[in-house]
Amino acid sequence: MVGGLALLLGACATAAPEPTPAPGAARPGPRPAAYESEDFVVTFAQPGDTPETLAARYLGGADRAWMIEDYTGLQAFSPGQEVVIPRRSWNASGVTPGGYQIVPILTYHNLGEQAKGRLVLAAASFREQMQYLRTNGYRVVSLGDFVEFTRLGRQLPQKAVVLTFDDGYRSFKDFAYPVLKELGFTATLFIYTDWVGAGRGALSWSDLRDLTAAGFDIQAHTKTHADLRRAHGETEAQYARRMHAELELPQELFNKNLGRRSQILAYPYGRWEEGLLPKVKEYGYIAAFSVRRQGNASFVRPLAAHRSQIYSEMTLDDFVKNLNVFQEENLR
Amino acid sequence: MRPPGRQLLAAAALGLALGGCAGLTGGPSGEAKTAGPVPIARDPLAARHRQQAEALERDGQLRRAAEEWKIVLTITPTDTRARESLRTLQARIDQLVAERIDEGRKALARGVQVEARRKFLAALALDPGSRAAFDALQSNTREVEFISHTVRAGDTLSSLAQRYYGDRSRSEVIWETNQLPPNPRLAPGTTLKIPEIPGVPFVHPEARRPPPAVAAIPTPDVPRPGPAPGPGPSPATPAPKEEYTPEVNPLLAEAREALERSDYPDALGTVDKYLASKPGDREGLTLKKQALYGQAKSQIEAKQYPESIQSLTLLTRLQPDYEDASALLKQSRTRLVEQHYTQGVRFYREEKLKEAIAEWRVVLEMDPAHANARRNIDQAERLLRGLEQRMKK
Repeated sequence: MVGGLALLLGACATAAPEPTPAPGAARPGPRPAAYESEDFVVTFAQPGDTPETLAARYLGGADRAWMIEDYTGLQAFSPGQEVVIPRRSWNASGVTPGGYQIVPILTYHNLGEQAKGRLVLAAASFREQMQYLRTNGYRVVSLGDFVEFTRLGRQLPQKAVVLTFDDGYRSFKDFAYPVLKELGFTATLFIYTDWVGAGRGALSWSDLRDLTAAGFDIQAHTKTHADLRRAHGETEAQYARRMHAELELPQELFNKNLGRRSQILAYPYGRWEEGLLPKVKEYGYIAAFSVRRQGNASFVRPLAAHRSQIYSEMTLDDFVKNLNVFQEENLR
Repeated sequence: MRPPGRQLLAAAALGLALGGCAGLTGGPSGEAKTAGPVPIARDPLAARHRQQAEALERDGQLRRAAEEWKIVLTITPTDTRARESLRTLQARIDQLVAERIDEGRKALARGVQVEARRKFLAALALDPGSRAAFDALQSNTREVEFISHTVRAGDTLSSLAQRYYGDRSRSEVIWETNQLPPNPRLAPGTTLKIPEIPGVPFVHPEARRPPPAVAAIPTPDVPRPGPAPGPGPSPATPAPKEEYTPEVNPLLAEAREALERSDYPDALGTVDKYLASKPGDREGLTLKKQALYGQAKSQIEAKQYPESIQSLTLLTRLQPDYEDASALLKQSRTRLVEQHYTQGVRFYREEKLKEAIAEWRVVLEMDPAHANARRNIDQAERLLRGLEQRMKK
């Protein structure tokens, strides 16, 4: 997934793209006049044109409508209006003279009919939050796309947001999946392998295979969900053995059950320390996440990136506070 | 957040389009058709973008200016003047980017992280795809923590450096970070950023954690650990905006929730699963003790004394002095004895002598000094013997 770094703006921003017309379906009338170069298309909106129809016509897919919206700052066009369409990445790092893009990565845990404690979010609240993202122009991108953003390999929509779910609760299937599918949002599940199939509350490997097939991304959250920082009195050898168990054994299970290794790690309890990063890298992870409540610039260190936990007691206003996508700073 | 210039430009172009200039002879791709709305002519369209490019360039918005030149060339690819302008501008941008990166590296060498970060960012603002600037920014600069300082009368850069770093010579870091003019006069009430300098811990008293107001009381009931001293900044560094919310182990969270809804068997089952992978974990043990205690109390309330004794025995084995556990254990035993004793009396009255004796035997097992039970057993056995002899006759 992340391995195949598409240098240009490659695949779609969401793993579960909006429905596109079947091949052979009615195409819009004759192609309008357009000037084209390798960098831009300059064209004129026809009646009924939207960023989606223009993206389908010139960028190879309606899911790239964000490029037109972000570049022009417009979401609708009058017939005859000039539209400048960028054909490739024009701001890979998201840095502008007025500041820089930051990407919020939201972290959910368990969901239920009713909220219960901090970490069981009511299904209705979750739906309301996802609906808010849709209504307010946020674009849910995959965690893999975000990781490419941190390698200067992929421009993201200005209002890109990533969704993650920790531990691997069965409730994901019951409460999150239907909402995400309906809205065409993708998400990453961070699972700790001791929990997989561990009882009524846990997803099984078979569930995880189904979710992969449905366009969701599964990544590692260690074996036992233990704090990965070196403990007091832990010898070098003990620590090395423990890290092998926490970082490598999940990889073996990923290989066996999903046919691939995990490249992205969520630190249990969000905790890490500087000395841990080389070990994490050694076991093949290219990005890893804490739960420090802040968004991520493209130039964040990928092994020390941040996520914001969404708790059940948060109001919609509290939730929205986690959605800042731009850090102002005068860089002229 | 959105570049306003483009919107204006689009609106201007719209005006022209509605003006209905005809005469487009076809785009470079040769796909221009007479069908659809009549687009404006190539030259006036390109002219708008050319003006825009020149205006942006004058305004110092070089990257956007370069994009506009590219748009001009998209419309009129043979415009050699535009091509030359783009080439010149691109060279100027490359030069500036190289300068910023160089300045950033020099700032790093001086140890002024904040300034280095700003230089690398300025390079990216000029060329957002600059690999050199991006890599330098990502690998050499950490996110820097600041203390905000509100200037008071009499503050000087040296006095602030002394106060925060214990080193007057660090004043230049504050000067550079805040982009102050040479020999600045600090106006009271203005705010300065005092950056964390890697390797130089803050010494200012405000930067230290205040000592706890009350002596810490060991509380077995505290369910979650305080925020860990955690990664990153030295303990003396305040984290003014940082909200550090440790993630919770799902098993622990589940156990805690079960506990909250007083489902003790569920809480204990889950916490035992947690402890199986982390024997001796303090948080897990704390929860387990809470669950055992809660369970015991509810069992006592339901008069399920054998069960409450079992819970409390486990609890006191984990921590003999847990709350009033040992008193509750004693109480449960007493009540259980009473329960068996009165049950025996009840059976006796119903003339179920054997059952009555069995109950009192349990009492004696639990409390060998229970005189009433012993006496009752004797009496019941005598009665029983008398009855049996009569039956034989």
